[in-house]
Amino acid sequence: MTTILVADDEYLIADILAFALEDLGYTVVSAGNGRKALDLFRSFAPALVITDYMMPVMNGLELAEAIRRTPGGTVPILLMSGAQAEIARARGDLFTHVFDKPFVVERMVSVVRELVGPPSKAD
Amino acid sequence: MRQLDRLQCGIGGFDEILEGGLVAGASYIVQGRPGSGKTILANQIAFHHAAGGGRVLVATLLSESHERLLQFLSTLAFFDPARVGAEISYVSAFETLEDEGLDGVVTLIRREISRHGATVLIVDGLLNARSRAETQLDTKKFIAALQGHAAFAGCTVLFLTSARLEDSSPEHTMVDGVIELAEEIVGVRSVRRMQMKKTRGTGALGGLHEFEITGHGIRVHPRLESRSIGSRAPDDPEDRRVSTGIGDLDRMVGGGLPVGSSTLVIGASGTGKTSMALAFAAEATRAEPAVVLGLFETPPRLEAKGAALGLDIAGLRAAGVLHPVWVPPTDQILDAIAYRVLDTVRETGARRLVIDSIGALARRGSTEGRDVPFFMSLFNALRSLGVTVFATWETADIVGTPSRAPAPNIASITDNLLLMRFVERGTELKRVLSIVKIRHSAYDASVHEFVTTPTGLHFRPTGPVAAFSPGAAPTA
Repeated sequence: MTTILVADDEYLIADILAFALEDLGYTVVSAGNGRKALDLFRSFAPALVITDYMMPVMNGLELAEAIRRTPGGTVPILLMSGAQAEIARARGDLFTHVFDKPFVVERMVSVVRELVGPPSKAD
Repeated sequence: MRQLDRLQCGIGGFDEILEGGLVAGASYIVQGRPGSGKTILANQIAFHHAAGGGRVLVATLLSESHERLLQFLSTLAFFDPARVGAEISYVSAFETLEDEGLDGVVTLIRREISRHGATVLIVDGLLNARSRAETQLDTKKFIAALQGHAAFAGCTVLFLTSARLEDSSPEHTMVDGVIELAEEIVGVRSVRRMQMKKTRGTGALGGLHEFEITGHGIRVHPRLESRSIGSRAPDDPEDRRVSTGIGDLDRMVGGGLPVGSSTLVIGASGTGKTSMALAFAAEATRAEPAVVLGLFETPPRLEAKGAALGLDIAGLRAAGVLHPVWVPPTDQILDAIAYRVLDTVRETGARRLVIDSIGALARRGSTEGRDVPFFMSLFNALRSLGVTVFATWETADIVGTPSRAPAPNIASITDNLLLMRFVERGTELKRVLSIVKIRHSAYDASVHEFVTTPTGLHFRPTGPVAAFSPGAAPTA
């Protein structure tokens, strides 16, 4: 079971991504802020993280830094961002890929597939 | 008397309506239907505040995505992408509202204010808070809690709502100010208006003020008569006279027009109103320049018309002593036109102003019954600047005495009133002038014919003309 963690305070975007990934067979856990996402990361050990930049409590940059300090925190992290894409692109150590919002979901899904492979049926 | 600290909004005309800006640390409701400009107003304030070193938290209770909002804002000049995520943070509290209710939202926003060091808080979608509240008291508690947390953080709050909340609503009773934005159709055009409905701790220019939204964001044009420009000016024009530019007319009015007075010449199209106005403007000198506000004729057409009358309008313009202000039909906000004229007069030091025509200017107005207070304020402001005004008003009647005074109220607020008519004399159509009033001055009341000769413009005494009575005149 390949789990993907999605963090976005805008539930519509989180939902759209979750539906698209679940349709392909991935398991998705999602959180509305960075702090909750970090808790989920520790509980579910996802294969990949997709995060927004501007979120309450803990933003995407802080989340990525915290994940990198966590055991198992070397997984790919994708950032979806509007105005802050440039800040994020300068942090290649944190973000594997940066998507400018708005983005085409298919493009995001194909990058996920390239990075973690097709969903596995069981662990 | 203590003055409260202000938060400058950086929106042209808006700080002026608020007599200096929003009260720092106070809370306001910005209300208006979707599309009325609430979001632009709030974000324009946010970007101005950020540019001045402040920090802003925008929390939405709506389900809409911020990305779409940012896309729309990116088309406006004040938008600076470098501020987003840095000095200005956009967070969604919608999920929190759904999952944890109003208390959860208060906790979230309180933390975010301190996490971002926000000095301005914008809460979008206040109506959703009301929907989530079980009682009116819950709504009040929600607003009070946010106000409390914001106040302790030195944060000014704007609540945005698309509902037209009543004055007695719990939301209104809690906040320090209510700013209402509206868009309505007047005739075939759309007019945007703004009103300060409640302002604690500060005065404000009351009533409705028109505003526009352009690529630069919002610009408010405070209603001219709500301001007291030139209110301390002497009520009467001076004794000193200035030439009308036509020697015969100067003699008829007792040696020229009193400095600071306003003159209205009314008459049908073609009776010579604009010619007289140009003769008046052409008396401009380097020491006493003129401004010509044109609503019908563009500067090149005025120059051509002047040339045909032997008046060197083009030369005066080139010499910088005559300044045309052309108001294209697309310029629709009366107050914006007035401020443009007043600014031009101040910048150029003009002492003469032609308005061609008052009728066309009045028709740009969007409010019935506003003509008199508007023009009284405008003439007052101009008198305080030492400007003598010569204005025209076209009437519908082609021949004879106008059957309907075009603007009896306007005529009553101008100092001097001249009437131009066509009369038939045998097989000829003549243009004749009657002086109706010259304030505080004797004048020649006999009818004079207006003629253009190679030596210039003249008024000659004429014999009896058609009866001077509205009843005897043909109607348009």
